[in-house]
Amino acid sequence: MAGPLALALVLGLASLTYLMRATGSFLPNLPAAITERTGGLAPALLAALVAIQLTGPNGLIHLDVKVPAVLVAAVLAALRAPFIVCVVAGAVVAGLLRAVFHL
Amino acid sequence: MRQILLAAAPIAIAVFVFGASFGVLAVAAHLPAWSVVLMSALVFAGSAQFAALGVIAAGGSVLTAIFAGALLNLRFVATGIAVAGSLPGGRVLRSLLAQLSIDESYALSVRAGAPGRPDGRTLIVTGICLYVVWIAGTLIGALLGPVLGDPKRLGLDAAFPAGFVALLWPMLSGRHAVRCAVGGAAAALALAPFTPPGIPLAGAAVVGLWLAR
Repeated sequence: MAGPLALALVLGLASLTYLMRATGSFLPNLPAAITERTGGLAPALLAALVAIQLTGPNGLIHLDVKVPAVLVAAVLAALRAPFIVCVVAGAVVAGLLRAVFHL
Repeated sequence: MRQILLAAAPIAIAVFVFGASFGVLAVAAHLPAWSVVLMSALVFAGSAQFAALGVIAAGGSVLTAIFAGALLNLRFVATGIAVAGSLPGGRVLRSLLAQLSIDESYALSVRAGAPGRPDGRTLIVTGICLYVVWIAGTLIGALLGPVLGDPKRLGLDAAFPAGFVALLWPMLSGRHAVRCAVGGAAAALALAPFTPPGIPLAGAAVVGLWLAR
């Protein structure tokens, strides 16, 4: 990625994140009904990101080595393995399957 | 002070490793190393940075990446309100100190504080420790990344969905969270074949807000 584009990514995400963390200092009395709902965003978005990572260019689920990689990571996460173990295991599963089956 | 640091130490190790893996993957996704470290220094939010990077690595646009990361950070509006009363100084200083709240430092400050009033000192001390460690980890990862070799052969493209699952799993306590996750994934999959990148994530966000209570 070109430098200016990378800078735009960093500054865009950073300024929005700053505003979100700063909201409470300037508007401490936002109604709880608004803030409570934001709790649903993280699980919904992360699940959506998993789903989208598993789709191909046509937007449909694409059965490749990422699917078993995600399943292994999910099992490890359910067993309370640390984040890095899940990530490395997922990458290793995908890498091995690619090497062995030339996928 | 000693007690605060002792409680933060194991978390600091985890944050360092998370930062290093972010650095490796970001460089593998062809982000310039300086921008990767700058992102960790200015954003300081692991899952949002990871999400933005995942969008870029999958060929999405910068706007979609910012959108995905920013939506994941919306929960900091709630934590920012929770910690504001416990922080010293005027509005500007408080808004700067509130930048030290990430999931881990916030959780420790809640544990150390009274009900409804997180401990400000714990938030500041652990926040600064984790901030330093997060940047150091990212820097090490960004320097190490190019040494590791071809990302696809190593399966690094699968690291993103694997990492998202690992971030998601601990959040799935309680029916609401499971409902939001299932709804979000379903909305994204339903929209993905017909809409440009970004829209499926927006749909998932709407479903998440809708199902949250």
